[in-house]
Amino acid sequence: MILTKKGMQTCNTPFVPSLYAFGFHAPDESVYSSGRGISEQVIRDMSAQKGECAWMRDFRLNSFAIYKKKQMPLWGPKLSDIQFDRLFYYVKPIKSQAQTWKELPDGIKKTYDKIGIPEMEKKYLSGVSAQYESEVVYKSIENTLKKKGVIFTDMDSAVKQYPELVKQYFGTLIPSGDNVFSALNSAVWSGGSFIYVPKNVSVALPLQAYFRINAANMGQFERTLIIADEGSFVHYIEGCTAPIYSTDSLHSGVVEVFVKKGARVRYSTVQNWSTNVYNLVTKRARVEEEGIMEWVDGNIGSKVTMKYPACYLVGKKAHGELLSVAYAGGVQIQDTGGKMIHLAPETTSEIVSKSISGGGGRTSYRGLVYIGSNAKGARNTSRCDALILDSLSRSDTYPKMDIRQPQSVTEHEASVSRITDEQLFYLTSRGIPTQAASSMIVNGFIEPIVKALPLEYAVELNRLMDLEMQGSLG
Amino acid sequence: MKSTTLLQLKHVTATLQSGKTILHDVSMTCLPGKIHVIMGPNGSGKSTLAKVIMGNSEYKMKGKILFGHVDIAKETTEERAKRGLFLAFQSPIAISGVSVMNLLRTAYQEIRAKKQKKTVHQKPTTGTMSEFLETVKKYAKLLHIDDSLLSRSIHEGFSGGEKKKIEVLQALVLEPKFAIFDEIDTGLDVDALQIVARGIELLGKRGTGCIIITHYQRLLSYLSVDGVTVMKQGRIVKTGNGKLVSDIDKKGYANV
Repeated sequence: MILTKKGMQTCNTPFVPSLYAFGFHAPDESVYSSGRGISEQVIRDMSAQKGECAWMRDFRLNSFAIYKKKQMPLWGPKLSDIQFDRLFYYVKPIKSQAQTWKELPDGIKKTYDKIGIPEMEKKYLSGVSAQYESEVVYKSIENTLKKKGVIFTDMDSAVKQYPELVKQYFGTLIPSGDNVFSALNSAVWSGGSFIYVPKNVSVALPLQAYFRINAANMGQFERTLIIADEGSFVHYIEGCTAPIYSTDSLHSGVVEVFVKKGARVRYSTVQNWSTNVYNLVTKRARVEEEGIMEWVDGNIGSKVTMKYPACYLVGKKAHGELLSVAYAGGVQIQDTGGKMIHLAPETTSEIVSKSISGGGGRTSYRGLVYIGSNAKGARNTSRCDALILDSLSRSDTYPKMDIRQPQSVTEHEASVSRITDEQLFYLTSRGIPTQAASSMIVNGFIEPIVKALPLEYAVELNRLMDLEMQGSLG
Repeated sequence: MKSTTLLQLKHVTATLQSGKTILHDVSMTCLPGKIHVIMGPNGSGKSTLAKVIMGNSEYKMKGKILFGHVDIAKETTEERAKRGLFLAFQSPIAISGVSVMNLLRTAYQEIRAKKQKKTVHQKPTTGTMSEFLETVKKYAKLLHIDDSLLSRSIHEGFSGGEKKKIEVLQALVLEPKFAIFDEIDTGLDVDALQIVARGIELLGKRGTGCIIITHYQRLLSYLSVDGVTVMKQGRIVKTGNGKLVSDIDKKGYANV
């Protein structure tokens, strides 16, 4: 049984219509804006606006100091077009968080109407934590979650309500200094989700959040922290849509996941930013003994995506998985991949990466498999398949393996393919038009990933591919 | 659905991009509901003929392909399929992630939509959807196809027998006016051969003109053959009735 609130909808009521249908934006009803650019004062103001205690303010300031010393990456896609001093680093949309749908301002309601949230609201009153601009403005939590001791709230509230718990984990897996974007995020983060699942509690209902950038030139720096205590299970889903703006937007999130002994966490993302967004995300999970971490990652939108979810397998028999699919069309660059860091005996991991490039788009797979000297009996399989739709498009693979334990197995398989005339002849001989036939082949190609997603995400992804096929075939 | 439409080839010549001519002036007529056999040694152009009838763009074609009174020689493969032409492939290609059921459903919708209304696509109603499922179930049973095969990626890792059965299943579900079976009998054991023959026989009874391309008499011994065409080096060298099959089997191609 699929317990996602959206997932229980059938294909007849798809929750998201299509790629650029989201190029709308509601009138800005923001009540506080930090103005363009970033400075120590901006961070102090932001922290004060949020009513944060000293430790978070100092964490931000410290991170900002690190950020100033950091260099932009010397590898990967070109990022020099990002105008950091033109961005808004903090915009507070409404005075306080709305508790129910009725309390939301009309403009925001309209925006959500277009992505279909009210539909879900009508059907499943709880479990949704949606982010509008940089703050969670609307959420409701199912009572059963509370009864089980599960905490599912926005990150800002968590800092206030559960300071000790947050302090213990926040920024410990992805320290501010990890990379330039984690430093920036640590300085100016806003919104995101906080989840704590107590020992042996299994959350049957996938927890979801919606992200949306709705102010031109506004950076969105959400921060998510998930702690799955021993023997617990949780599935977290984030789906992103963004309106199109003429100036570049930056989205740079940080996600830290702690998987304790015997726990299992699945983190699913369908990223569909408009094609002017830089999506530069740091995601990392720490997996203890016999724990399981699964990243399911779909990247369709954005101008440039750089995302390499990682699993640090620190306990014996810990398991990490990454299923990722990326589509790059036109000027898009999808630079994605994953990291599996084996630090304990008998740890296992699997990477399945599928990428499609068309219409001049570019996909890159960048992967790291590290098997440390302690990881006796470790096992990794990586498989990356690229489908290139035309001669304008490009796909690169940069798999890196660092093996320090001889008694371990690492397998890497890669393939590059195109849609063949033979396949098209077969399908058209069954009365299927060429374009629909191409969509079928593409959707078939990503099927192993899509089937891991909740139904309506799968439907959405397939529709997006259909749309892309319409654009890329003459 | 008894049809009176004829499928006629008139002076068909097919040339590869390289300039090599594979078919020379081939003319033949196939009748609805009849079983027509095309035989000939390897490299005689039989498979090319099948692909050319289906509109494969690898070949440059001259001559006419008449479907009833319409010359379909310039039509796309998709258009021909919608008119009611079907090709069971000799070695059908695998398509990863596209299940047999998905392909059948999509093809059924395309072809049904065409049948129902000759203009735009029309999604079949729920009624025809359940009709579809029943049709698939019925013929899968007839062909001894396991349900689990229907949910697998089409032809991916299928055995020779499974591939052929799935091709015949598609013909049965799509109810074409003419179906070409390109070496449907190769790689089949006796049991599978009988099952495939049963499928073709049923198609014929329902009015589909069946064109069977083969090397051997094996499959034909289960079917009543109405006409035989023998090809050599891209030309038709002999035509006859069902008796020609046993003559070839006894004497070989060289002596008929």
